[in-house]
Amino acid sequence: MSNSTLNTSKEELLKSFRKNLNGKALVPSVREQAQAALEKLEIPNRRMEDWKYTSLESLQKKNFVTPSPSEISDVDPFKIEGLVSDVLVFVNGVYKEELSSLGLNEGNLHLVPFHHVKGESLEVLNKYFGKLVASENNLFSAINTAYADQGLLIYVPKGKIAEHPVQIVHISTPEGNDIALQHRNLLVVEDNASAKVVESFYTIGEGSTLRNNLHEVTVGANAQLEYIKLQLEGSEASQIDHTEVHQGRDSKASVFTITMGGDLVRNNLIFRLNDQNTETHLMGTYLLNGRQHVDNFTQVNHQEPNCFSNELYKGILDEKSTGAFTGRINVFRDAQKTNAYQSNRNILLTKTANIFTKPQLEIYADDVKCSHGATTGQLDKEAMFYLKARGLSEDKARKLMIHAFTLEVIENISLEPVQEYLEQLVSDRY
Amino acid sequence: MLTIKNLQASIDGQEILKGLNLTINPGEVHAIMGPNGSGKSTLASVLAGREEYEVTGGEVDFDGKDLLDLEPDERAGEGLFLAFQYPVEIPGVSMTNFLRTSVNSVREYREQEALTAGQFLKLMKEKQQIVELDSNLTKRSVNEGFSGGEKKRNEIFQMAMLEPKLAILDETDSGLDIDALRIVSNAVNKLRSPERSFLVITHYQRLLDHIVPDFVHVLYKGRIVKSGGKELALELEEKGYDWIKEEVAA
Repeated sequence: MSNSTLNTSKEELLKSFRKNLNGKALVPSVREQAQAALEKLEIPNRRMEDWKYTSLESLQKKNFVTPSPSEISDVDPFKIEGLVSDVLVFVNGVYKEELSSLGLNEGNLHLVPFHHVKGESLEVLNKYFGKLVASENNLFSAINTAYADQGLLIYVPKGKIAEHPVQIVHISTPEGNDIALQHRNLLVVEDNASAKVVESFYTIGEGSTLRNNLHEVTVGANAQLEYIKLQLEGSEASQIDHTEVHQGRDSKASVFTITMGGDLVRNNLIFRLNDQNTETHLMGTYLLNGRQHVDNFTQVNHQEPNCFSNELYKGILDEKSTGAFTGRINVFRDAQKTNAYQSNRNILLTKTANIFTKPQLEIYADDVKCSHGATTGQLDKEAMFYLKARGLSEDKARKLMIHAFTLEVIENISLEPVQEYLEQLVSDRY
Repeated sequence: MLTIKNLQASIDGQEILKGLNLTINPGEVHAIMGPNGSGKSTLASVLAGREEYEVTGGEVDFDGKDLLDLEPDERAGEGLFLAFQYPVEIPGVSMTNFLRTSVNSVREYREQEALTAGQFLKLMKEKQQIVELDSNLTKRSVNEGFSGGEKKRNEIFQMAMLEPKLAILDETDSGLDIDALRIVSNAVNKLRSPERSFLVITHYQRLLDHIVPDFVHVLYKGRIVKSGGKELALELEEKGYDWIKEEVAA
């Protein structure tokens, strides 16, 4: 591909997102920097090491249009049953106040759509916005920073405990078209504070959606965060998600990435452990079929001593689906007594499904415990026979085995209704 | 109940069963003994429907049904039960969920109504006592972290839950200490009835002190070469298999 075609498709892609732009920049200096960075960045391609397994060419053939304003009256089907939570609904990237319900965490947790920031929340925004994710080396992050004008500030001030989880529901309604959307979360859990966030993505109707999401997450000293992402979009949806989490001393953060929907999904999940004695869990499961392509690119940076990280990603790949997993662990020179564990396990249900898995450990400290492991196989034949010999049909046995395989990830979610919701989705799928 | 005629089976192209004949009537307990490699476990595997084994000849009639034509789960539904020599650990599948799915699958096959949660728990408690199984075990994943004895007792527990017409015990006694052996044998004896038959595959005569068979067969080189009453087991214990091998060779 020549440089000029590359530039043309990049220009087209930028235009798709720029179309949605209205209103002024939240933090003008950050936006200007990102816009400047866009000039130099190119669309990621498979010649780049970090994009070796994922091609974005299919996206470049699409002609994205601005989504039409959509009327949805009932969002109950998209809420997790039994989960008592603050709910924020975004339709085609736009916050819908009338569909949302807030107030359970009054005083402890601030949920402010970017358009409504003022006073204290504006101060928080100015302090944290654009600070974690640099625009210089990632085109999609730069696009988000340059052109996203919708987003959400989730802010838990020092010492506050959000008793109830927050549920963010994203619905896209392409109505037969190709639409491009962006969202951004600025999630700040200050020192000694605690929060749980469940974010889910859905599609209604025909057409395709490209989402470019960026999440900047700060977890302060001795703070706790559980962040669960449920990617449940339609079969023509693409998503590029970039999440970066910075953790302070003695903090604990868990991020769950559950992918069942979408045609092309790329998740970048980056952790920076900026201080000592942190605990980090990266948990993911992907259940794919058709021609779904899901690429989880994860990175944990152990920068300081005595930090613990545990990563478990499990995938079930059916039909002609493809999965990719990169798990990079960087242990810096000063990060003695690091404990870092990583495991990626996959079951291929067909001969035409593919998985690429790449653990990468770079260790510069000498007193550390690190392990990684990757397995790929079929459903255990002995176990299948055992179940069938006990009267379970092939179908039921398979379902039970798949359920058990994914449960190891799902059961770590502390919110029972979310666990039950996911178990139901797994049961419905197989 | 079970009629095996001229059964031939192979694995990976190697013929193991070479024309086996056996008839089991309702209520009978048959023991199959034989030296290593004679085809004992192959027989159990073929009857239960393990797909690695290829049946190359012969037929098996199970209560009027062509057994070899049925899937493993259909065989279970018809009332065949195999107690595994090596019960499989299935992490993530709870015993309770597994058993409930199993019992209700078999009931569905037999056109019986599914058990409610309450009925199921009651049944489970009742049957657990037969094998003196710790109730904590049913809260764990299937066989995961069970001791050898617990795994074997768990097999008999499942047998009690599924109420089969014919139970095949594939070396259920191997690896059991004497206490576990007694528990397992007592449980099997409690489950004996005029309608239920057993095929007990074993290396050792000591199991047959506890589960007294009606017939003892010697399997050698893929065929039953000698049959007799329970006294045959004692003779084998005493004299080993060499005299049988000589008889066959003669």
